[in-house]
Amino acid sequence: MFNALRTEQLIAGIGATARTAAGAAGPPDEYARGQLLSAYSVSRLLAAEVSAEAALLAWLRGELLDAVATAPEDPAAAAAVPRIEAATDGAEVGAALVDLLAELRARDTEERVRTSPRIARSSANAPELRTRIHAILREMAQRELAALAARPQGSGSSR
Amino acid sequence: MSDTAAIDPAKASAALELLRAVDSAGPRAAVVGLTQMEGGWSRHTYAIDVEDPDREGLRRFIGRVRPEDSVLDTDLGQEFEIYRVLEGEPVPAPRVHGYEPSADTPFGGPYFLMERLPGDGLNVWRRPDRELLEADWAAGRGIAEDFVDGMAAIHAVAPEKLADVVVARDFRGTVGRWREIYEEVHLVADPVVEEAYAWILDNEPEPVEPRLVHGDYRIGNCLVGGGRMTGVLDWELASIGDPRFDLGYMALPYSSGRFVTAGSPLLGAVADRDWLDQRYEAATGRPVDRSVVDLYAALGALMLFSIMGTGLSLYAKGESSDIRSAWSRFVFPGLRADLAQLMGW
Repeated sequence: MFNALRTEQLIAGIGATARTAAGAAGPPDEYARGQLLSAYSVSRLLAAEVSAEAALLAWLRGELLDAVATAPEDPAAAAAVPRIEAATDGAEVGAALVDLLAELRARDTEERVRTSPRIARSSANAPELRTRIHAILREMAQRELAALAARPQGSGSSR
Repeated sequence: MSDTAAIDPAKASAALELLRAVDSAGPRAAVVGLTQMEGGWSRHTYAIDVEDPDREGLRRFIGRVRPEDSVLDTDLGQEFEIYRVLEGEPVPAPRVHGYEPSADTPFGGPYFLMERLPGDGLNVWRRPDRELLEADWAAGRGIAEDFVDGMAAIHAVAPEKLADVVVARDFRGTVGRWREIYEEVHLVADPVVEEAYAWILDNEPEPVEPRLVHGDYRIGNCLVGGGRMTGVLDWELASIGDPRFDLGYMALPYSSGRFVTAGSPLLGAVADRDWLDQRYEAATGRPVDRSVVDLYAALGALMLFSIMGTGLSLYAKGESSDIRSAWSRFVFPGLRADLAQLMGW
């Protein structure tokens, strides 16, 4: 969801690899063959990602808006709402979450320092909203993995 | 061996020149095979076969090249020196044969040559290689034993022998190094990574005696042949630091072949976790604290974000054409899942 390279950059990369292979003289060495196989892998993964990304983004947005709605008085949560609602892709949701979690984390750290000199291991003492967002992010990663593992249909190959 | 007609004459000539300069090849030596191998992200790797009638006949070398678009800003000369130090240690590593530091070489960057040890590199993201390791675990365990003993041997090397070769970093120094690279290259904001850095610093472990740390110790960076581990390679991330980093990085599901689906059920795709911990404890005399190991597993995941993020950044800027850098973008969801699990989310 929080992707560094855009879809069009990956498509262009696959094409560039194919062109390089087509222009090479002689049989491919191990490296060149590995490049082609990696390009194939990117194409499969990208097809799976594109198939699932709209549904995954809608799920993530819905879960996060439900979560922040439980803290209507929290200014950090309130500030995140319009950003999450307006996000057009996972990267924009990620940016909103980074800011929100940084605020919640800072507040959590202040609270723990105030109440105990020994910082607890794990997020057990984290505020409820932060813990809930953690759970959503954990579930998001699992859903994204499941989506990427799905085989694209109608790809012209059963392998 | 490759078709000699396909051998790049400039690369072959450069390799021979370097071998002769360190008296590792005679005047009549000729390169009879030279191919670029598949592996190597921060280094390009070449298999170079030399026929030398004045020596032992056919000799097999590996060329390690630091390309301009390396995903790691590490010194190839340092890696060469580590191999030299290891020649006197009970760590299975290849003998090196000369280093060319110039960036302007036919290989496209500085390079060194080392002997090609018997055995093959395994790719735990491929099912047949995982099955080979699972078969070893089920019967014999030669690879599993060598793998743990190899790590213990690395951690037994006296750090002072490498004091002038590799950098020493404490816990915060190591975290800071990867965080700095992440901030330099990160192209999108990642809330899981940000939370993980905070969690790691909140849970700083008590320090232990610094040791030589490989920094990328996994079976895929070792050679395996005849049911044994024959060599440990890829030392560009070595440092003097907390040896528990190697245990943690190995414990990361990624190191067991996890990609978008689960990898091997064995730790590091090699051995049962209890067995591995016990063997390591017996070999080193140091107890394994799993909570600290898991902390270092999380740091290992963050290291991968930084390294692969560097590759993505180079690719996005058009400074690398290696499609594997683009492919690595799909590693990140699994690393986020690993981090979520390790942090108890």
